[in-house]
Amino acid sequence: MAIIKFENVTFRYESDEEGVVLAPAVKDFSLSIEKGEFVAILGHNGSGKSTLAKLANGLLLPEKGRVLVDGMDTINEEDDIKIKQTVGVVFQNPDNQIVATIVEEDVAFGPENLGIEPTEIRRRVDNALKTVGMYEYRKHGPHKLSGGQKQRVAIAGIIAMEPRCIILDEPTAMLDPIGRRDVMNAIKRLNRELGITVVFITHYMEEAVEADRIVVMDDSRLVMDGTPKEVFADADKIRSIGLDVPQTCQLADMLRNDGIKLKNDLLSIDELVENIDDLLKGQ
Amino acid sequence: MIKDITLGQYFPMNSVVHKLDPRLKLLFVTSFIVMVFLSNNFISLAFCFLVTALVIAISKIPLKTVLKGLKPIILIVVITSILQIAYNDGGITLVDVWKIKITSGGVLTAVFMALRISLLIVMSTMLTYTTSPTSLTNGLDRIFAPFKKIGLDFHTITMIMTIALRFIPTLIEEVDKIMSAQKSRGANFEQGSIIKRAKALIPLFIPLLFNSIRRAYELANAMTCRCYNGGQGKTTMNALKFSKRDYLGLLAVILVIISIILLNIYCGEYNAEFTFGLAI
Repeated sequence: MAIIKFENVTFRYESDEEGVVLAPAVKDFSLSIEKGEFVAILGHNGSGKSTLAKLANGLLLPEKGRVLVDGMDTINEEDDIKIKQTVGVVFQNPDNQIVATIVEEDVAFGPENLGIEPTEIRRRVDNALKTVGMYEYRKHGPHKLSGGQKQRVAIAGIIAMEPRCIILDEPTAMLDPIGRRDVMNAIKRLNRELGITVVFITHYMEEAVEADRIVVMDDSRLVMDGTPKEVFADADKIRSIGLDVPQTCQLADMLRNDGIKLKNDLLSIDELVENIDDLLKGQ
Repeated sequence: MIKDITLGQYFPMNSVVHKLDPRLKLLFVTSFIVMVFLSNNFISLAFCFLVTALVIAISKIPLKTVLKGLKPIILIVVITSILQIAYNDGGITLVDVWKIKITSGGVLTAVFMALRISLLIVMSTMLTYTTSPTSLTNGLDRIFAPFKKIGLDFHTITMIMTIALRFIPTLIEEVDKIMSAQKSRGANFEQGSIIKRAKALIPLFIPLLFNSIRRAYELANAMTCRCYNGGQGKTTMNALKFSKRDYLGLLAVILVIISIILLNIYCGEYNAEFTFGLAI
């Protein structure tokens, strides 16, 4: 069974002005995310991808259609806590997600709310901090940490609830390259080592390439869905909706246009180098 | 640089006072304040002074830092003393020039009040010096937990305190950023009349307020995602536990309180003329 299932979901925000009806942020959207998957959701600003994150754990409720989390409909209030425990969401700005004045107390916030035993909370907090590589900072104040470190603490705060799926809404958008790399590594570890389903919302192509599956959104709708190779093979379509393709794809494309017969599904630098090497040897 | 400001007034030291349960410290400070107010003679006040000195000594906090805490209230102490001298006309008349009449009763009451206020402030600052804000709110949360049964929900208040403490450095950083941004566009915060400077702060506070509301909204979402439901059925990772040290502390607190009460009863209200006569 899918861990998150969107069935023909439509959602629109209410306007601040009376009588004004906004265009839907998500329109007739269907998607099924399976357990253990690493899905990247791509789309430019305003494509509806952040709304998707909030719909997936019941922060927002659909106007039409329904969202099922592990079989539970998000519209049912009695399942609310269970749904939020199953699907954790990490947002863009780490500063606005940290509640407590000490790192480990912040990570404990989720499990404390769930009413878990103190000794078990301790174990979860330590494990979560070790997973994101922030264990040695457990006694620090969050305001003394860098952006990337704060974001990893925010991720640990979600992991400590032991969710089966984590949605990350542009978690690297406000970070420097080092912070971005550290957060990316932590996310990959969640999926590969802990088997947590990861839904990763981003507009960095280089990060999306790391996923098993890419879903592209444009104008509130799903426009592409497939493996990174499948999605980036159609570079023209990606560009037509205002997104960039990864630099390796760009380079391969330019070379192909110059008549060099490269393969069609090159994503990583290594693959490209190997392919060029093969061609050179063949000459 | 601006990031390094200390939260509250916590002064971390490795001392017994620091390690005591925050609930015990809260209990002690509140009862001490009541006791200081109830003290009606110099002997029990001297005892309170002794207790304060002892707490400072054990806490290992430098005396200079403690006295610094008194600075903001010097004016209040002085004004109270002057008022006491001006309005109290008991005891022997010491000075009687023109319209000014100073009596021994006035002087003694003034000294008494000044000592009283200083003791109150010093002991309260000792609480914030030796207890981290987190453990203080934690202690408050636990003390007031039983009131929930009668409909008084203190959890919300302590949660608000925690969040306020958490966001002080974040907002200071933001003020710094907005100020730099405004300065780079020619804003002047340092020159001109007070009114002019106050006006210059408006473009600083509007974005700050706007951003704070946005932050609050995002934080609420993040808290909801972490299953926050107003503290119902909430557990605590670092549950406060009364250790042997705390029981000994409790014993000491009880002894101090009893001593002050006894001193009040047996030494009686101070007699201005008598004490003054003794002093001469």
